[in-house]
Amino acid sequence: MSEPLQEALRRSFVSLEKQREVWRSVLEECSPLMEALGNLAEQMSALTRVQLLDTPLRVFPQLEELLRVKLLQAADTVLQRLGENMCRLQSIRDSISSQASALLQQYQQSSVDLTMLTERSATVPSLADMLQWIQDAERFYRQQFLQRKALLQTLRPDQLLLLESAPKRWKSLESPSADQQITDSLCRLSLFIQPQ
Amino acid sequence: TNVSLRGTNLRCTWITGSARKIRDNAADWHNLMLRWDRLNDEGFNLAASIVNMSSQGDLLVLDTCPPPSQSTSAEAQQVAGAAELQDECLKLQDVVDRMVVVVKKMEHLVEIQRGVLQLEEFQFGPEGRRVPLCLSWKTREFEEMSGVLLAAFSQELKLKQTILQEVAHTMTSDLSKVYLSCWLHQPFIPAATRLGLEALLLETGHRPL
Repeated sequence: MSEPLQEALRRSFVSLEKQREVWRSVLEECSPLMEALGNLAEQMSALTRVQLLDTPLRVFPQLEELLRVKLLQAADTVLQRLGENMCRLQSIRDSISSQASALLQQYQQSSVDLTMLTERSATVPSLADMLQWIQDAERFYRQQFLQRKALLQTLRPDQLLLLESAPKRWKSLESPSADQQITDSLCRLSLFIQPQ
Repeated sequence: TNVSLRGTNLRCTWITGSARKIRDNAADWHNLMLRWDRLNDEGFNLAASIVNMSSQGDLLVLDTCPPPSQSTSAEAQQVAGAAELQDECLKLQDVVDRMVVVVKKMEHLVEIQRGVLQLEEFQFGPEGRRVPLCLSWKTREFEEMSGVLLAAFSQELKLKQTILQEVAHTMTSDLSKVYLSCWLHQPFIPAATRLGLEALLLETGHRPL
């Protein structure tokens, strides 16, 4: 087996484990923000549907406009914070992507032949498998990021229908099976990753 | 925050007379607005639970219609629910009463500010003093700022009083949502009001430059 390549793979998986944690925590921060956004959208549509002139609130002529401004400002703030979280996701994706491509490059430049590539033991999976898993993880985070970013880019504080459905759509982007596959491969690697 | 406000700027501690009044007033504005915010949070939770209870009340009324045999237990439940609702309304009333007190105190601050201005006009004529009392604002500007703040909170108080009257009797969920969102977002207290307070605190040396 190729020692340098194996070592590089080990380092990548260790860092992948850490980045998965950060990714998860960023997503956990995003979901209450998404809920808040949906909630604000709901308040805005309620305001649109109610004819304030037919309610006891008619004595406040400017109320509707002022409240709408407040709601839009609040939605803006939430969108901004989501944007900041997207930046953090982007940097995680970038780091995973660059590691994956560096590994691939290292493999292409090495003199690893087919036997070495497929050789494996009880504790160490084959280089081919590990390269595959890293690529799978890289693709997962790349797609996840793009989908979430695309969703956020469609959101405008004044487009109520899109805003209202946003929390649901955000949740639907979760891809538990693909995520589970990465967990599984990291499990298979647990003995390999452990510092010797 | 009360503690941190006092004496952040020691060079101002020796001031007396009108400058002292203006400086103390600014601190009072800050504290009253904090108290208002706390009352607003407290009131929002109460208003939200009132809305939830009233919407559940509707469901109970619907339930009682078909089976007459169960009506006694349902009625008892309804009575208990009404008592609970009444209780929450009283608590909200109490919050609004305390908000009235806050606005009364704000009115008092505006009166003091007007007094300071009148005294100055009496001493220096309609142009006022040449050298500003604090950093740069004319005494009139303090009076105007207090007026702006008071107007915002008085109007918001009227809105809260209306919501208090109506929130338990509102049948449509959209209107209930609008009431709650009015209570929470305080449309008559725009971001500019908070900035005005910050300007006041900066000017009077409560916030470091």
